[in-house]
Amino acid sequence: MPKPQSALPFRVTEFAPSDIERRLEFVNLGPEDRGRIAAVKADVLDNLDEHIAAFFDHLAKFEEARGLTNRAELLEEAKRLKREHLVAMVGGDYGRDYIDQRFRLGQLYSRTALEVSIFMGAFHNLMASVGRRIMSHHSTDALAGFEHFTSLKKVAFFDIAIIVDAMMADREQTIRQQQDAIRELSTPTLQVRDQLLILPIIGLLDTQRAKQLTDSLLRAIRTHRARVVVMDITGVATVDSKVANHLIQTVEAAALMGASVIVTGVSAEVAQSLVTLGINLGRITTLGDLQGGLEEAERILGYTVTQTSEAA
Amino acid sequence: MPVPILKQGEILIASVQAAMTDRDLLQLKDELADKIGRFRSRGVIIDVTALDVMDSFATRTLRGIAATARLRGAQAVVVGVQPDVAIAIVQLGLTLQGVATALDLEEGLELLRRSTMKVDHCDG
Repeated sequence: MPKPQSALPFRVTEFAPSDIERRLEFVNLGPEDRGRIAAVKADVLDNLDEHIAAFFDHLAKFEEARGLTNRAELLEEAKRLKREHLVAMVGGDYGRDYIDQRFRLGQLYSRTALEVSIFMGAFHNLMASVGRRIMSHHSTDALAGFEHFTSLKKVAFFDIAIIVDAMMADREQTIRQQQDAIRELSTPTLQVRDQLLILPIIGLLDTQRAKQLTDSLLRAIRTHRARVVVMDITGVATVDSKVANHLIQTVEAAALMGASVIVTGVSAEVAQSLVTLGINLGRITTLGDLQGGLEEAERILGYTVTQTSEAA
Repeated sequence: MPVPILKQGEILIASVQAAMTDRDLLQLKDELADKIGRFRSRGVIIDVTALDVMDSFATRTLRGIAATARLRGAQAVVVGVQPDVAIAIVQLGLTLQGVATALDLEEGLELLRRSTMKVDHCDG
């Protein structure tokens, strides 16, 4: 199965040096910016605690950031990474290691379910704290102060892009894992007796899922050496010509493996719509409900079920 | 590669070893038709476990073998269709209608045993 394409790199290792260069071009970071950043190094480094507090105090104000602020060890880790971040930000080296650090921070935010919007607010607060220091140094020349601050802000925006990418990549990965889990869960094949399987189908049956379902059923037939399969479609809300066709194909494929399929749980609405659509399921054995299907399957396989008198 | 046909009591077993050409298929059909009469066989098993592809000619020939066998008084069972082959056959719109199928050789023998037993029962 081809992996869905994504514009986001999932790991830092997927960041080529040319990508990093390109991203620095995006924020228009030039040599004069690097010079100005070196000049404001002291403004950042001398007041590290103040800047970090600006970020985390802002977060502490919001209920939505509890996932991070209420968990002491994660909060400590975030503070440590943030300190690292600020030091590296004025360090002048924006290579692979730098991006790696931003990624880790982004993933930490994502794991603690920190919203991008809150993160942005906090980050802005931090930059404001840094900006205040820079501007107070250039109180005589406001324009120079602004330019120095702007150069540093270019790096800040470069960082934000990476952190947000990391947060989104992490979230996308979670979604993909959950989708896979649902897909796995959605088509269980269960053995009820020797040579008898039941296959309850719930939800929407699209082409992709029908293929997977057929595939897993055929494999189950082989591993369990099944001769009869009861396919219950009570949980399938609508059956159109496409879905019916998938069901017919599954039944025929199972027949080629030597197993007969009994379809059960065709509701009144589904039955009526099949008749209205003119779909002929004549080649498939259909029975009202799962119980009926199991009884028929047991009859085919020669099982008799008896109730003991004690239980009655 | 021609398909070896083994005789086991009243049953003939054709065990396909490798991919079959159209000529191999036709030869199998002729040979089975001949041997069913010669050995007075009641059942024929065609084991296709080794096949990873089956085209329209193959399915049509198998249907032909089953029909021929029926006319000669024997029941044909195709066994060992692989899951991928089954899916491919169905998606290509081909069928093995009229041909009995079973999971593997063991199940095939069991199926033939059941159906010939029924006949014996009628006789008695």
